[in-house]
Amino acid sequence: MAGKPASEENRHLPNSLGIRGWVWAGRYTLERYLFTLHRLTGLGLLAYITLHLIANGTRLGGEDAWTNTMEFLSNPGFRVGEYLVVAAFIFHALNGGRLILQHLGFTLGKPKPPVYPYVDSMRRRRPITLAMLAVMAALLLYVLIEIVT
Amino acid sequence: MKETRLKILQYITGIGLFFFIGAHLFASYLSSGEPTSWESVSERAASSGWLTLYLFLLIFGLYHGLHGLRTIILELSIPNSAVKVLDWALLAIGVAIFGYAAYIVINAF
Amino acid sequence: MQELTFRVQRYNPGENKEPYLQEFTIPSSQGMTVLDGLIYIKENVDNTLSFRSSCRMGICGSCGMLINNFPMLACHSPVEELKTDRIEVRSLPNFPVIRDLVPSLDPLFAKHKSIKPYIIGPDMKEVEAPTSEYSQSREELEAYVQFAYCVKCGLCMAACPSVATDSLFLGPQPLGQAYRYCADRRDIGAKERFHVADSPHGIWLCHLAGACSEACPKGVDPALAIQLLKRAMVSDSLRLRKKKKPASLAQPPATSKPKIDVPEFTVTQ
Repeated sequence: MAGKPASEENRHLPNSLGIRGWVWAGRYTLERYLFTLHRLTGLGLLAYITLHLIANGTRLGGEDAWTNTMEFLSNPGFRVGEYLVVAAFIFHALNGGRLILQHLGFTLGKPKPPVYPYVDSMRRRRPITLAMLAVMAALLLYVLIEIVT
Repeated sequence: MKETRLKILQYITGIGLFFFIGAHLFASYLSSGEPTSWESVSERAASSGWLTLYLFLLIFGLYHGLHGLRTIILELSIPNSAVKVLDWALLAIGVAIFGYAAYIVINAF
Repeated sequence: MQELTFRVQRYNPGENKEPYLQEFTIPSSQGMTVLDGLIYIKENVDNTLSFRSSCRMGICGSCGMLINNFPMLACHSPVEELKTDRIEVRSLPNFPVIRDLVPSLDPLFAKHKSIKPYIIGPDMKEVEAPTSEYSQSREELEAYVQFAYCVKCGLCMAACPSVATDSLFLGPQPLGQAYRYCADRRDIGAKERFHVADSPHGIWLCHLAGACSEACPKGVDPALAIQLLKRAMVSDSLRLRKKKKPASLAQPPATSKPKIDVPEFTVTQ
């Protein structure tokens, strides 16, 4: 890029996908969508922590203020919201565990000289990702049953 | 290797949060009784064990969340010259939230 | 004969503000690739269509394009495998467009250069003017050879969701190549590359979406290389990284008398 006149640079059409590229993923497979979900659940949990701290702050107002807040938050809408927060936490924690292991080079295997048809390390080790999703589904079901009953 | 050290802390806080939030959720939602009643909340607030857990939760949660947010903001092509400003802004937000939340739990202790 | 509908991105910087799709209907043939289709259009329908290609056998990495929403080499994409007779071809995303389907790969080359993609040996004089070969075991070769197959086509950069928003992010190709050289026993430049990869727009903006490895047409698996580089950087940061002895020079072959006499070809005048 260096050494080119600015006018020549400007002739190019910037062609980045932008934030759409975080969500829209074309014809990719599982892990690409887990990335999107990890980001969404992370932002959701951060927003929830803020609301959680604000709600807990009503404790400073004494028993009445606290009880009123809890009554307000006990409507079915907030209960569904709470379940979604727990679900987001379960997903973010389990997928985060997978990511920590894989970021540190565990569970991905060793480099191999490429032989056609190529299979990359993520697809070779997909059973680990599927096992993580199965544990997640079981935990989500357990929490749902606990909350409902 | 500043960025690498920040990321290592992200991993450590992530692993810590898995256990701390797990304990917090179990006590708040999955145990028997009425966990959000004033009595239950006051009982937990008076326990030094829960106080310690809440403070760790705060520190770990704020670091993990704000570092995650920093990564997302960086991905918006933030120029290197603005990274320091971003870091200080997030640190100030973290310290302010920690101060407010720590005051709530310590006040209730 | 079955017909194919090609919807091709057109963009002429002198004439168009935005790219648009132009539709071409062309006959299909057995074994036809997307590149064959584009060549047919250029030769028979519209000779102003611009695209880049050279070897047409997945070696040069020139013809990277977004084909039916997936970055692919046009020469490496048989129409039959796309399982549709409607083919949409756009310029590679995350790269500036020069014209029609021609992306500017300059950002890739600049980032690739920044990670020092060459052997930094203990004795640079020996690297530049070798007196002998380096000895290397099969295991030592296999530690990096997969990553040495990169053809710099840019498909991984087009697939990466972090490159999608962050033009400053190094991206999968340069980071993967940084590991390729760090894993090479002839190289002692790991620390210099760690320093480049440790920037705010460096390696830690990779979140292992795996799209780069999925798109790579050469089986290079940049996602694996990047995770191994992360592991090396974390170990180094925690002072747990084992120092490996750099590869030694192989002994020159012992001089021995040939079994049969080699005739002397030197012409004496």
